[in-house]
Amino acid sequence: MELDFSPVLDSAQFLLHGLELTLALSALSMLCSLAAGGAIGLARCYGPQWLRWPLVFYIDSMRSIPVFVVLVWTYFALPIVTGVVLPPFWAALVALSAHIAAYVAEIVRAGVSSIRPGQTRAAFALGMSRAQTIREIVLPQALVRMLPAFGSILSITIKDTAIAAVIAVPEYMNRSQTVAGQSFHPIEIFMVAMVVYFLILFPVTRIVDMVYVRLAHLGRS
Amino acid sequence: MNTSETERHAHPRKGAGAPPVVLYRDVRKRFGDFIALSGVSMDVRKGEVVCLIGPSGSGKSTLLRCTNGLELIDDGEIELDGTLLPRDWEGMRRVRQRMGMVFQNFELFPHKTALGNVAIGPMTVLRMTRDDSVTRARALLDKVGLADKADNYPSQLSGGQQQRVAIARALAMEPEIMLFDEPTSALDPETVGEVLNVMKRLAEEGMTMIVVTHEMTFARRVGDWVVVMERGAVIEQGPPEQIFDAPRVDRTREFLSHLGWSG
Amino acid sequence: MNFDWSVVWRNADALVEGTKLTILLAVTTMAIAIPGGIVLALMRLSGVRALSAASASFVELFRNLPLILVIYTAYYVMPVATGLSLPPIITGIVALALNVSAYNSETFRAGIASIRQGQSDAAFALGMSRWQATYEIVLPQAVRRVLPVLASTWVSLFKDTSLVSVISVGELAFTSMRIRSQTFRVLEMLTAMALIYWMLGYPQAKFVDWLNRRFGISE
Repeated sequence: MELDFSPVLDSAQFLLHGLELTLALSALSMLCSLAAGGAIGLARCYGPQWLRWPLVFYIDSMRSIPVFVVLVWTYFALPIVTGVVLPPFWAALVALSAHIAAYVAEIVRAGVSSIRPGQTRAAFALGMSRAQTIREIVLPQALVRMLPAFGSILSITIKDTAIAAVIAVPEYMNRSQTVAGQSFHPIEIFMVAMVVYFLILFPVTRIVDMVYVRLAHLGRS
Repeated sequence: MNTSETERHAHPRKGAGAPPVVLYRDVRKRFGDFIALSGVSMDVRKGEVVCLIGPSGSGKSTLLRCTNGLELIDDGEIELDGTLLPRDWEGMRRVRQRMGMVFQNFELFPHKTALGNVAIGPMTVLRMTRDDSVTRARALLDKVGLADKADNYPSQLSGGQQQRVAIARALAMEPEIMLFDEPTSALDPETVGEVLNVMKRLAEEGMTMIVVTHEMTFARRVGDWVVVMERGAVIEQGPPEQIFDAPRVDRTREFLSHLGWSG
Repeated sequence: MNFDWSVVWRNADALVEGTKLTILLAVTTMAIAIPGGIVLALMRLSGVRALSAASASFVELFRNLPLILVIYTAYYVMPVATGLSLPPIITGIVALALNVSAYNSETFRAGIASIRQGQSDAAFALGMSRWQATYEIVLPQAVRRVLPVLASTWVSLFKDTSLVSVISVGELAFTSMRIRSQTFRVLEMLTAMALIYWMLGYPQAKFVDWLNRRFGISE
């Protein structure tokens, strides 16, 4: 099997712009999921009782439906229901954020409930209010504990952006497919794609691990 | 001068006249830079209860684990019944079947009942039939006073009960010698007694035992020979009366007084 | 805006066939990926440097690649590598199995390593061989530890089968999209697809929660 990587080089600019979009979509989705998921998770722990059921339903539903389905529905079906047409990038952002926020919410809930009641009792004994206790004592420790899980969420987010290719988001996966189709050298194109994604994903988990090892003692109580 | 020789003349040891069951000759073991055993020489006679005492890190547990090959020694020799112990894992595996070991943390297998734990040695290692293994297991559970707990899982048993099952499990292999690694250190004071009683009965039945322990009363009453270790070496050894009432070495005296032992 | 939900009932047979294929894909993949994961874990835990490194590399590779990319690459590489023209379903299963084996191997490795050394010591003290100790004492306990995680992986796998639709394997996602293209009933078909996945996935997710409660780590 002889390999010819020249199509990759010829389309380097094209592919690079795709890569930019992959990174942009990953970063934005991550931020939105953290914000939304954080809010949902905290609402589940500290919010009013009547809110819990719908939130749990939302979380469990997102756990049950493939991200592919959420992406496709947001891009093709949502416009029909709401009349709002989202360009592919924004449709992907909404879909990914909504999907991943559910996982973030679960992580936040698990992190917060892992803090022993003794910690909150100690804070109350000092005279802290509920809000102060959550802000100063529970959340900081919980955040440290959640770091490894957030690392894997980031990894999953980046991988999921590749699925956005199916709704015509011109990110790296989509562009690789285009070049592969035009050049008739799909194997070389996809091999390069594998290297590119690996080089992005591998350090992500490693860096999160390293940061966690440094900070882990802050979350141990 | 060889201290053990003088000891032997002054206080005749149990099983004197017969060759020792276990003989340690200048045994050395290190873990990286840490020297765990720095040339230990001693022997264990048939039917004797030898108690290893000493501060933490003195090498008592390491010596025990080298005896049944859970750790392989770096230098020196260990003999069992006059035969040198092999230096390889597979060779030691056969030797291990002749020794029984009881651990500080009991280490019962949580996914098996008490009966299952006691029977697993005979079934898997000795390749006895299930029926024979179960018969033997029931008899041993009865012997340690837990016949009615045969179908309980370890999580349903108290610490003392678990340790007694562990003793029965080791006995199921019909070992020639029993090794105890701080058998009561992890037990509540109320349950320590039930385990020590089982060990005492074993000793009375003539089992050769090497016991690493902090229970000085046990060593005093049941032990036939006490070996004091510190920093990987034997600093003194002798009959319990001599060690506890009239220790010859200052470090022994210090160690005993730290334990609150007033004799 | 007019909706015609009857399109779902009219194509119910096709959707059922698609669902069956989804289940078949998941079951077949797990059937390969569980022994695959165990082998990889044992390789990683063996003292042999070459085996350990090979296993670690395999796992790192597949954990750090998007599954959809693996599927596409397999689709183009496998015919060339094997010289055979393979039906897409085989390619899909291969890609899924490689991916899930890597995750399972980490699950099994953590499960085995979580069994205290003392348990192996006790087994050795009875005279058991390394193999006997692993088989009788370590693995049964490790299995209980890994069960909840494996169930979680199964649920993810079930959802990931939707990705092989991109290489035209006729599972649920592909079938739904195909009917959508043929009938132009976009909202109805896509919503039906989401609902069917939801009906299948929701109980599975709840089952995983139950498993975690029942078998959760308790020393």
